[in-house]
Amino acid sequence: MRRNTFWSWFWIFLGTLYFLLPLISTFLFSLRAKKDVLSFLSYERIFTDVNFTRTLGFSLVVAVFTILVSILLVVPTAYWIRLRLPQLRAMIEFMTMLPFVIPAIVLVFGLIRVFSGAPFFLTNTYAGTNALLVAAYAVLTLPYMFRSVDAGLGAIDVRSLTEAAQSLGANWATILFRVIFPNLRVAILSGAFLTLATVIGEFTIASFLVGIKAFGPYLSLTGQNKTYEASSLTIISFLLTWAFMGLIQLFNRGKSDSALAGAH
Amino acid sequence: MSFLSISNVSKIFGGVVAVEDFNLEIEKGEFVSFLGPSGCGKTTTLRMVAGFELPTSGEVVLDGENITYKSPNQRNVGMVFQSYALFPNMTVAQNIGFGLQVRKTPAEEIRKTVDEMLGLIHLEKHAEKYPFQLSGGQQQRVALARALAINPRVLLLDEPLSALDAKIRVELRQEIRRIQQTMGITTIYVTHDQEEALSLSDRIVVMSQGHMEQVGTPSEIYNHPTTEFVASFVGQLNLLPVTEVNVQNGTCKLNGQLVRFDHSEQSEQRQISAKPRLAIRPEEFQFGQAEARNVVLGRVEVVMFLGAVVRLRVRIGEALVSVDLFNERTMILPRVGDDVTVNFPAHACWIM
Repeated sequence: MRRNTFWSWFWIFLGTLYFLLPLISTFLFSLRAKKDVLSFLSYERIFTDVNFTRTLGFSLVVAVFTILVSILLVVPTAYWIRLRLPQLRAMIEFMTMLPFVIPAIVLVFGLIRVFSGAPFFLTNTYAGTNALLVAAYAVLTLPYMFRSVDAGLGAIDVRSLTEAAQSLGANWATILFRVIFPNLRVAILSGAFLTLATVIGEFTIASFLVGIKAFGPYLSLTGQNKTYEASSLTIISFLLTWAFMGLIQLFNRGKSDSALAGAH
Repeated sequence: MSFLSISNVSKIFGGVVAVEDFNLEIEKGEFVSFLGPSGCGKTTTLRMVAGFELPTSGEVVLDGENITYKSPNQRNVGMVFQSYALFPNMTVAQNIGFGLQVRKTPAEEIRKTVDEMLGLIHLEKHAEKYPFQLSGGQQQRVALARALAINPRVLLLDEPLSALDAKIRVELRQEIRRIQQTMGITTIYVTHDQEEALSLSDRIVVMSQGHMEQVGTPSEIYNHPTTEFVASFVGQLNLLPVTEVNVQNGTCKLNGQLVRFDHSEQSEQRQISAKPRLAIRPEEFQFGQAEARNVVLGRVEVVMFLGAVVRLRVRIGEALVSVDLFNERTMILPRVGDDVTVNFPAHACWIM
């Protein structure tokens, strides 16, 4: 028994080292921008770099639009497939996996080829290019959003809930927005989070469509040119990810607490 | 014209006939059960009344209005599901008030109706709980209140008690009947449980393989089944092979002995098959000699003591028959292998 406990702790320790060591080393390295002194200089440089805030802001906005488009596209589709077209489920699942199979570079060249000529001249304007970027990301992140939402739908009795709402007089919009969406909140949130993380760090599509305007290409460029800043950016990206995760946890818990509290 | 009329309704799913030529007139305030084994078309029929399935042919007329092709949300029909189907994101009160909210009823009126409904199902203290915080029985009561809150023209219940345990089932079925009678609401109840159907209904429709087998009051269905299916599906039925059937005199030979049977309904309703059998319920038997009753000899093969009832299997000729006796404290139970004399009245048996 004692032996077992020892080995359990040993493996946990080893695992923790495996995950934390690179992170700690990167962090320590990021503090060495000034010779022989530990300092936050590289962080200062990053935060005072206009490009950092500008590209991050741009990518965040693109991510938000991607999430909205994705939700409006995926939730009704996945719902309808569960409700009325279960025989199409396997095919749709396969289609949503395609972005994993087709390399981003193929996707972006295809998009540029189709949408820069007649009858679509999307790449001729900034707004058009940005819209194309959002559309491309909605496709790229389809597997995450579809899988999350589909799993969420699997956890509720979609058919009975729909029929119950219908018999009570609800129309399709009411059913979707008052019954289906609220019960998929956690599933949509996890899909949204994965979409956000993907969009923020995505390089290939962004660099071909909008170049240095997006955060992904900025990260890459910094990594190539500024050694210490690259490390601090890595740490910042990690912190951002953790912050998003924390926010979602908080949002989930806060929501259910307030729902319960509001009930009294 | 009746309140709800289902006329010549059929439903075919991809070549498979689920319901065929269903005809039923239901009066206002009536409680009708559709009873049958799974796959007999009872739920499909109910769903066609609710609007979740469209009939392949025939029509459904409710209160003078043809609703056959109306969408479910425009029928004002309340539905209770086996799986409760409460909205997990809403409290009990919000669930009950949902239908009224959809109808844009003023908030004050919704609150009043919700309170009334909560009183009706005795869950006043649980108004602000979420469905997951309630037991199965409580959830189904909420589902019932939610269906009733919109003051539906018809209440449809699709095996509402099947997911509950036996004790709750009995309690809740009494509650459903009480509420139905209080509100005087026309109700269709789908079940495969004969006890539920017999104890709740004004009338029962027994269904098998998409057909209506018989429609009648619970006592008609049990005591005067018109088909072999009804006779054996509702309650237990012994079928003993007999010879020399004389329908006019009401006599036949069972294991060589002359037996009298009820022949009053024989000619009008029942066809006698090529291999005639004497039909009799287990509870009609008694032990011992008796005057003016049929008397046969048999041998006890199984004795099961069930509390209020003692169930025996007695071999009479080639047939093994079920015999149910009411338990009495002083009763001496026969033993396996005993030869016994069994009697039963002529009016309790018929030929199939």
